[in-house]
Amino acid sequence: MTLDPNEPRLTAYALGELDETERAAIEYELLHSEAVRRAVGEIRATAEVLRKELGNEPRLQLSEAQRSSIERMFQPAKRKTFFAPSRALYAGAAVLAVASLFLVVYLNWSERRTSLENTFDTDSNGRIIGRGSSPRTVVQESPKPPEVIRKQSHPVQQTPEQVPTKTPVVRLDKEKGGVGIGTELIVRNEAASQSLVQAAQIGQKEIVASSAVAVPMLPPATLRSTAGPGEGGGTAAHSFLRKFLLQDTVSVSQGYESEEQKTLRDKGSYRQDFNTETYDRVVDNPFMRATQNPLSTFSIDVDTAAYANVRRFLSSGALPPKDAVRIEEMVNYFAYSYTGPKNSDPFSTQVEVASAPWKPEHRLVKVGLKGREIAQDKRPPSNLVFLIDVSGSMQPPNKLPLIKRGLPLLIEKLTENDRVAIVVYAGASGLVLPSTTCDHKAKILTALENLEAGGSTNGASGIQLAYDTAIANFIKGGTNRVILATDGDFNVGVTNQGELTRLIEEKAKSGVFLSVLGFGMGNYKDSTLEKLADNGNGNYGYVDSLQEARKVLVEEMGGTLITIAKDVKIQVEFNPALVGAYRLIGYENRILRAEDFNDDTKDAGEIGAGHTVTALYEVVPAGKEGTLPGIDALKYQKPVEASRESKSGELLTVKLRYKHPDGTTSKLMQFPVSDRGTGWAQASRDFKFASAVAALGMILRDSPYKGNATIDSVLELAEAGKGEDKQGYRAEFIELAKTARGPVEGTKITN
Amino acid sequence: MKSSENQDQGGNLKALLHRLQGPLIRYAFQITGDLERSRDVVQDTFLQLCSENRASLNGHLEPWLYTVCRNRALDVRKKEGRMNPLTEATAEPSSNSPDAFVSMDRAETFQSALKVLETLPASQQEAIRLKFQSELSYKEISQVMGLSVTNVGFLIHAGLKAIRQIMLEQPRANSKVLRRIK
Repeated sequence: MTLDPNEPRLTAYALGELDETERAAIEYELLHSEAVRRAVGEIRATAEVLRKELGNEPRLQLSEAQRSSIERMFQPAKRKTFFAPSRALYAGAAVLAVASLFLVVYLNWSERRTSLENTFDTDSNGRIIGRGSSPRTVVQESPKPPEVIRKQSHPVQQTPEQVPTKTPVVRLDKEKGGVGIGTELIVRNEAASQSLVQAAQIGQKEIVASSAVAVPMLPPATLRSTAGPGEGGGTAAHSFLRKFLLQDTVSVSQGYESEEQKTLRDKGSYRQDFNTETYDRVVDNPFMRATQNPLSTFSIDVDTAAYANVRRFLSSGALPPKDAVRIEEMVNYFAYSYTGPKNSDPFSTQVEVASAPWKPEHRLVKVGLKGREIAQDKRPPSNLVFLIDVSGSMQPPNKLPLIKRGLPLLIEKLTENDRVAIVVYAGASGLVLPSTTCDHKAKILTALENLEAGGSTNGASGIQLAYDTAIANFIKGGTNRVILATDGDFNVGVTNQGELTRLIEEKAKSGVFLSVLGFGMGNYKDSTLEKLADNGNGNYGYVDSLQEARKVLVEEMGGTLITIAKDVKIQVEFNPALVGAYRLIGYENRILRAEDFNDDTKDAGEIGAGHTVTALYEVVPAGKEGTLPGIDALKYQKPVEASRESKSGELLTVKLRYKHPDGTTSKLMQFPVSDRGTGWAQASRDFKFASAVAALGMILRDSPYKGNATIDSVLELAEAGKGEDKQGYRAEFIELAKTARGPVEGTKITN
Repeated sequence: MKSSENQDQGGNLKALLHRLQGPLIRYAFQITGDLERSRDVVQDTFLQLCSENRASLNGHLEPWLYTVCRNRALDVRKKEGRMNPLTEATAEPSSNSPDAFVSMDRAETFQSALKVLETLPASQQEAIRLKFQSELSYKEISQVMGLSVTNVGFLIHAGLKAIRQIMLEQPRANSKVLRRIK
């Protein structure tokens, strides 16, 4: 037998890659075939030339800063790093930051199960350590709690009064001081610094397994208490660790970068590489004294994405990251049986007051809006442009394939008055289907069916093209909307988010609205998508199943497609005669300044046909707010005198401003509200159900305001508020709350 | 107690970093086409190593590093690809036109084996670099690239053959190289 000189095994032989048996076979051939000998000689010579030339390529190196950042991680951290006053913080913060990054990396890594076994996923008690909970097991217990001296106030330590009301979303970015500038941490205890080091090495499984570190977690109550005023000592350190290890991966990575690497990489890329899911930080709205802050102003929000996302986490047995739990989106996921407007207003407003189930001495005020229903046949014509992400990451069945199954549900409902176009983007973007009237459904469906992830076409950037297409086919008086379907890694032709947001804001002025549908998991960029939708006069939903697609695209189509009012703002004025303090539950990133309410240039949320919007306020009756941190009496002013209306017995007044979809000036609506002293048990079903959802949200966020809310009380409320529940969404919520029991209670060992 | 062990380990890792940073950056560069990004990728790769249980990586530390580096680099390329329309399409020669690189006029410009290498399909280039620059075995390359060993063998074989043929068939343009081969 003679070996073909073009046989891959010859190459393997020449390169020393064969085992003994195969080698012997080839050597036999070598003896007998000149051609084989020559081939092997040529292969070796080529290999040698290649080796040499490759070896001569210029040597590449990491930068000094990069190398030292790595080497610092190789070495056990030294105590003095934490002591040195000026640079200390950065070093400590860097270790923490990197540790927290590793957590994210590690957890993503283990989620994907690429190479590691899951020793880290369950602890010795067999308790599942999900994304949210695993870091806690590691960092919270050290032989002795670290002693921390707080030298300056830290944003985290602010009392509710100090938290600026206008910007409730605190971002610890480098401009504001990054990781460390607000605080100086001095860790005095060797064991504690050791635990920091161990925290930095968190990815190592044996640490989790070793008894010195993997001891029971502290009860959340202990951790939580640090958020209140006046605490110090060990719990502050725990809080510090917990905050930075658990929640602030994004901010910390930026803080870290600002010191170590800002010259090395573009803004944001670091964060993307490490954190495949990103959420903006959400800090619970604090209680505000009605005497000092009588006005509460916010923009409505009909987004529902957070609920579906929370559901995804809980279904997989993990606690969602705190910042992914946006309570208003959870509450607004459900439709409530508010009655629509009877007059010509685009929506009706209903307010209900009863006791707060989680804190019976407080009152809970539910403000409900209901957009006018518009019958299918009265629907104005629509001009829709689907902008679909077909990049490689969209391949999994819950992404592009789900889009291809979900969108036909919507297209099915459209008529010959409606138009649909399809724009895709990946490496490049292109118009797959020019705007087509919906009497050509087959053509539309075929175009949709032919989409494939990974493909690319020439053209301008997707979003630009989508808006251009929508504008070119603009239907006056109709619905003009771009519907973006993506996993959120949204970077079409515009390199940063700010630019993208501006582009969308600019385009929103054209009268074309934006709906954002988030698909899939893993690469999911929650915060980006929400911002896009908010800036594009749009709404945002998360689709993880065909059922969800049906809900978003078909059942809520009226609302999604037909905007009946835009820039809807709510301002509530509390009567200090009856209200000691109040707190808006959720809407943390929708808070407006009081003066924005009357400013028609300030963008706010839109409401669609049939949409319901619900907001909850927890109210502390006057005279009972004593335990709240307050401010000293003012030196130069006297307290404002109460007006005659304060004795009217009204609890509050709800004011609403909205614009018609094509209008530029707003209209004002006002509703005074009185409290009849109802207990929550006598409240409406919707009241009970909405408070059940809010309570679950607060439990998942481990909110300091959750009172005595437990999974059991959530279930009780939800059952009582379930009502008819035609679509089964409330029943699903009840099941979900049951699933939450494990992860939630798994976080408490002792209490 | 542990600190001396840790320091030893730190020392080994330092040596590892020193030795592998170059080849890893080069490898990432082949994928991303951007040197700065590639440095970032390699930094991230080593930072991830710090968080790993290194005992479990014993014996396959290098392929592990290359694998992590490759995945990160591919992520970067994916993202950059979206930011710069069409770069993806041009960066990767189509692998279903194997004859493209044997064209005569193109071959005439080849000054070295490396120039020929650059015309090969990306997967062949990658396997060849891992073999001859990073000195990984077929088996290790198969782990890094997620292919079978046979597959890797074929890629390297096909790549070497193409380089050899072009250089042998172009004696005038490549006289220098040829002399070395003979």
